[in-house]
Amino acid sequence: MRMRSRPAIIWAVFTLSTSLPGASQAALDVFACEPEWAALAQELGGDRLEIYSATTAQQDPHHIQARPSLIARTRKADLLVCTGAELEVGWLPLLLRRAGNPRIQPGQPGHFLAADHIEMLEVPEKLDRSLGDIHAGGNPHIHTDPRNILRVAGRLSQRLQALDPDHADSYQQRYMAFEAGWQDSMRIWSERARPVKGAKIVVHHHFWSYLNDWLGLNRIATLEPVPGVSPSTRHLAEVKKLLQQQPAVMIVNTSYMNDRPVRWLSDQTGIPIVTLPATVDFQQDETLQQWFDGLVQAIGEPVK
Amino acid sequence: MSLEGLAPSILAPAFIAGLVVLSTHIPLGHEVLRRGIIFIDIAVAQIAGLGVIIAYTLGWGEHGIEAQAAAVISALLGAWILSRLEKKYSEYQEALIGTSFILAATAGILLLANNPHGGDHLKDLLVGQILWVQWGQLLYSAFVSITVLLVWLRFRSSIGSAGFYTLFAIAITVSVQLVGVYLVFASLIIPALATVGCSNRSGYGMSAIIGVSGYAAGLVVSALLDLPSGAVIVWTIALSALLVHLSGACKALMNSRTKSN
Repeated sequence: MRMRSRPAIIWAVFTLSTSLPGASQAALDVFACEPEWAALAQELGGDRLEIYSATTAQQDPHHIQARPSLIARTRKADLLVCTGAELEVGWLPLLLRRAGNPRIQPGQPGHFLAADHIEMLEVPEKLDRSLGDIHAGGNPHIHTDPRNILRVAGRLSQRLQALDPDHADSYQQRYMAFEAGWQDSMRIWSERARPVKGAKIVVHHHFWSYLNDWLGLNRIATLEPVPGVSPSTRHLAEVKKLLQQQPAVMIVNTSYMNDRPVRWLSDQTGIPIVTLPATVDFQQDETLQQWFDGLVQAIGEPVK
Repeated sequence: MSLEGLAPSILAPAFIAGLVVLSTHIPLGHEVLRRGIIFIDIAVAQIAGLGVIIAYTLGWGEHGIEAQAAAVISALLGAWILSRLEKKYSEYQEALIGTSFILAATAGILLLANNPHGGDHLKDLLVGQILWVQWGQLLYSAFVSITVLLVWLRFRSSIGSAGFYTLFAIAITVSVQLVGVYLVFASLIIPALATVGCSNRSGYGMSAIIGVSGYAAGLVVSALLDLPSGAVIVWTIALSALLVHLSGACKALMNSRTKSN
């Protein structure tokens, strides 16, 4: 087996060396935990950044499998951009320890957590063990509100300017352009989503809390009794009864989650399911703008 | 195809973790196969996990020494019960092992019914990922594994069923945390299975070749193709087992031995 991989190595060395000139122009190496931060870094840094996203839009960022490239990318990164708020608690501390890269350890300028710059929702008032091991920092799915994206963009741009001061002007210009475009888009999205304001929805998991907050959706029920716990039969019966009294417009599901619970509920109640893509598909060159366009359109479907 | 994952400092700790696991699992694997108790490793690992969950719900720490103690003690307890059952109902041993596995697994679900993230942490504790291995953890695991191996080699004929189950429980508890349940099963069963026709000594040697080349090839392939290492290694162990089995290396070895004698 070892002998066989040798031609592959030679081939790989060859292809890598021919592609090096393009990569060497990048000034900063960015390691993003989730595609949304990779896409945001792309907006703010363009070609000056060499960006890697540890997860894809089809993956649950709570859990990932260890691959050699993850450690290699973490090692050479100048800047780590992650959500924080314990979203990556299952793997990021291990990865950071294993990679041993001093530039991106907690407390260093190269360690950027988006949740540090956001007003968090659903922060538990007290941490009670009997309520389960809830995220102490609040709901970590902050990227589903475009206002949060803008706040993080401002802070992230400052961080890029601090790490690469020779090109601070160019980062600043990119930020200004992004901000102007984003403000325009947010106006359009709010306008388009006006019909769903106050619409009653059911969710499976508290993934879209920030989107609800932004668009003013009215979440009347959650299939999971506590985040991450499968519903008991009693809880499902209660949800069903509630929906018979006050019907919801849609059941909102997240693309990477198991859709069996929502399909069950839809079968039982006749309420349509809207499956929203969990995040931007960075690996397919989708932009944050395009992702939010899609979200707003999908969530408007059932009220047409 | 990417080369960046090939750095020795990334792959070396994982490879050594593989060697540590193989050191106990090759001899124990032959014994497991001989006794016909294939799924015992999964059952014992699950019982060790249940022990950690019980300790956690009692308010002990979920990391560090308390969790380790809880895992080892419950694995030993589980192994002791399984060895008693073997004595009494040896013909149904495999069915009893399967049943204890699902009982331990579902007891864990019931205990953690209201505690989702606790479940996440515990799953991480139980299902190690080979690439995350660190030197400190390796040192501890290597020490325990070598002790188990020496005791087994020295006293194998005299310790009987209870002794085997005890050593087995300790070896499994350590290795599951290091490399995860799939790799533990693969390291235990596949090399032993591929060499069933061999004599004892050449069987061990061939199993070691299968195991070591499986881990090495798996790590390199997972780096080149950017795939999760644990799952790739399971497949490369199986492939090298198949190659060794088809090549008839074991028989050739035995023939040349008898000739030279």
